[in-house]
Amino acid sequence: MTIKEKLKKILVEELNLEDISPEEIDDDAPLFGEGLGLDSLDAVELVVLVQKHFGVEIKDMEEGRPALQSVSSLAAFIENRLAA
Amino acid sequence: MPATDVHKTRNWSSRSLGSQLQHQIFYLLIRLGGRRAAYALLYFVVLYYVLLRPAVRGKTFPYLRRRFPREGGPPRLRNSYRMSLELGKVLVDRAVVGILGPSAMRVEMDGGAKLLELVGEGRGLILLTAHVGCWQVAMSALGFLQVPVNLLMQRETGDIDRHYFEHAGIECPYKIIDPRGFLGGALEMVEVLKRGEILSVMGDRMLGNDQNGVRVDFLGAPVRFPFSAYKLASATGAPVAVVLSAKTGPASYELKLYDVIRVPGGLGRGEASFAPHASRFARSLERFCAEHPYQFFNFFDLWHDPDRAEDRRRTESEEL
Repeated sequence: MTIKEKLKKILVEELNLEDISPEEIDDDAPLFGEGLGLDSLDAVELVVLVQKHFGVEIKDMEEGRPALQSVSSLAAFIENRLAA
Repeated sequence: MPATDVHKTRNWSSRSLGSQLQHQIFYLLIRLGGRRAAYALLYFVVLYYVLLRPAVRGKTFPYLRRRFPREGGPPRLRNSYRMSLELGKVLVDRAVVGILGPSAMRVEMDGGAKLLELVGEGRGLILLTAHVGCWQVAMSALGFLQVPVNLLMQRETGDIDRHYFEHAGIECPYKIIDPRGFLGGALEMVEVLKRGEILSVMGDRMLGNDQNGVRVDFLGAPVRFPFSAYKLASATGAPVAVVLSAKTGPASYELKLYDVIRVPGGLGRGEASFAPHASRFARSLERFCAEHPYQFFNFFDLWHDPDRAEDRRRTESEEL
């Protein structure tokens, strides 16, 4: 399973996204607001879940802002961290 | 967020009541005659507002109707005066601490040992507080915890009340996280908790574009309280300490630990999971209101529910 697939599965199953399956999530759809419709408190959960499942910490706003735009950007951030 | 939705989640404002000049007069009195001189003027200023400004007086009524349901007419007017006076004194005290220094006000801590223990767990600490007493004066008593304090705070254009550190011309002693920032400041909040620091959050008002409210009973009727603090606690494992401040004498305050709320992880997205925790906070707030009935400073209708037809009709008629 790729990082993107795993992320989509986490989004649906652990953030309890309703009426959408992992396969239906667009790689480049915005995670927050319009798009997947996540809110600021989901961001809290997502940061914790990324650390739990990938061992990657989103330390601050500087890292978080670009990483938390879409599944693609978050997967790229995780890949970079795992490769470092 | 559409304007109508903002209106739905928020019916309060932190804009100051008096003008810049009126505030300066109070600051001058404090410098010249100390707290008592400012209080002396305050009694008359509050009397003017309560007697001659019905709109100002009316802002105290939603709470007073719940807290003193049997007291209408003159007793309610008297209660309105006492409540407004207490707020005025708190604002004066805040300025006194800034202008004359922290030694001008004594702050006692009830539950300090427990707070130290909670900070010692190393998972950060969420201080859940409310618009009661004077949190700024009380915060000055948190130095003994020896960890940085971060504050989720929204300041509006038009709020000209100075914080005590602004009077003193010193650097802000705590870091302010703006809920109108990226993702409502959520990442910054997680960050400070991960570092084992203190995050202070108000549990009684919805901030910014926050729609994460949960309905709980407070003083006999439902209100919407934010559940962000409990969600943060669930995600990070940080304990939640309900800490409220009260003015206990002319120059003294108490900071009291009312409850420690442990929120289990994995509670999901639904507001219902957080209702029991918000409800515990509401019980603490009710205890506070029983102990300090005139120090509850939410001057708006906390019980107004835009989804309830009766309240919606009233809002629409007020807007016409």
